[in-house]
Amino acid sequence: MAKTGDQWHEKPNFPDTHFVDTRIYTEEDLFREEQEKIFNKTWIIACHESEVPNAFDYRTFHHPGGAELIIVRGEDMKVRSFYNICPHRGNTLLYDPVGNAKRITCIFHAWSFDTKGACTDISRAKQGYQERFCTADASLREVRADTGYGGFVWVNIDDAAPSLAEFIGPSMDLLNEQLGMDLEVFHYHKAVVNTNYKLWHDTNSEFYHDYMHYFNRATGMLQPGYFDRKYTGYPNGHASVGSMSIKYDAYDGSAERGVGWPGLAPGGWILIDIFPGMTFNLRTSVLRMDTAIPLGPNKLIIEFRGLGLKSDTPAQRAERIRDHNVIWGPFGRNLHEDLLGVHGQGKAMAERTDSKWVIHGREENMTIHDEGGMRHFYAEWGRRMGRKPFDPYGDNKVGDSKSNHNKASSPLAAE
Amino acid sequence: MDTTGKFANAAARVMATELVYRSCLTLDALDFPAYLALCDTRYHYLITAYSPEIRKEMTWLEHNMAGMQLLFKNLPKHNSDHARLSRHACVYTIDFTDELNANVVSGLQVYRTTLDGGATELFAVGKMYDKVTLGGDVPLLVERHIKLDTRMLGIGFHIPF
Repeated sequence: MAKTGDQWHEKPNFPDTHFVDTRIYTEEDLFREEQEKIFNKTWIIACHESEVPNAFDYRTFHHPGGAELIIVRGEDMKVRSFYNICPHRGNTLLYDPVGNAKRITCIFHAWSFDTKGACTDISRAKQGYQERFCTADASLREVRADTGYGGFVWVNIDDAAPSLAEFIGPSMDLLNEQLGMDLEVFHYHKAVVNTNYKLWHDTNSEFYHDYMHYFNRATGMLQPGYFDRKYTGYPNGHASVGSMSIKYDAYDGSAERGVGWPGLAPGGWILIDIFPGMTFNLRTSVLRMDTAIPLGPNKLIIEFRGLGLKSDTPAQRAERIRDHNVIWGPFGRNLHEDLLGVHGQGKAMAERTDSKWVIHGREENMTIHDEGGMRHFYAEWGRRMGRKPFDPYGDNKVGDSKSNHNKASSPLAAE
Repeated sequence: MDTTGKFANAAARVMATELVYRSCLTLDALDFPAYLALCDTRYHYLITAYSPEIRKEMTWLEHNMAGMQLLFKNLPKHNSDHARLSRHACVYTIDFTDELNANVVSGLQVYRTTLDGGATELFAVGKMYDKVTLGGDVPLLVERHIKLDTRMLGIGFHIPF
């Protein structure tokens, strides 16, 4: 029987850790708070080192906390990051997403900066500023940058945040060997979707939605080992999913993959989710990296990268690209379905739609259809935000729980 | 076809042009058998885009005739955006490599029209580089290379341009 309006708003019959209030996806004030408490405090992937291979190469990056950044490789080959803003009159310094600049010169008044962020020239400085202001006063704002875990360039807005290694902890151990060689980006595209970033990360944190993917049902869910894959949660909200052997030729028109990946079993597939919105997805022959960059509570840019080995022969690279495109390209079978799914969530849960709850209640001993990966994420979200995901404003009357579950409210109750 | 008469070249140009347009019309109509009937058995289909961000030419879709057939055959098994696309081609140049074969360059704009309300938006722009043959009973596409300028395709699409 369908629910009445009152019943629709009743708290789900689960422990509080097993559902969230959909206002965490829609409210502008919560999003602004997330930018301050989460995105400006955590390490975020800005690009890959292969995108800035030479001295003075740069990339620009829209940081999810809001800042526009420059990623630049210095003459000393160290990669640094700065705000992409001139300290004079706030102009954008580098307009193009990529380039090579020995000097970063603002087009407005020709102030110049080097790749260490020092101001090297102020036009007619003496005439205008006399002794009151000089290049030493006009440095760029540096942002902490580090390179690692497959050669990605990570940035952190918070000068006092723990190191990247402390932030990642043991969460990337499952891919240590596989990411130990030089990689190269061969695919990059962005998608703008009207949805919340957490919903995209959720999609990368649960495999129950394989029901949406015919390709994954045929090549994975119907194959031995699929239901043995397990989630593991790590500190700081990260999680991993263990491997299985995908049977690619079970999809009509797809073939067993000819090139593999060093250290990965044939047909293997390892996925690691990094809080708050990055996913390493190594699937047999291709590493896919997603970076979620929210523009608002219901607007999201996702950066998609496909990577192979820098040592690839042309034939190997061509095969990786083909493998990538079958499922993950803009015309691929799976990516479109995933994006269609989160687009639908964004539409259904937009502000004023009277959506109320999202359930993360599946417990299957942390195996592939368990929703513990999402529960683990929201436990960290709640810790950083100082809010309860199931009651973000403290007005949900959650004390009168009708839950018939006797388990403690642990996000990984089945661990 | 007769390519030796006074107006043969003009007629051949019309046939090559219509072939490009018919390929758009058949895909717009989701009439995949009709589209494939316009393609030679040697058909090679390619979508690429240059990414300034990574300074690389990217291949986004590549199939031969068998691959295209399977792509269309598998479509009903997938969850897809059901908005309709409208492919607007404008043939710019036709260069005959011999009497029966030509390279055709066309501008391409793809519009997406929603099912709910029928709002239309520009979805993608690029150029089509086709190789066509007029040597058989009907003109056929031997090769189509779509070079996209647009790299943001939103939630993507399951049906080729």
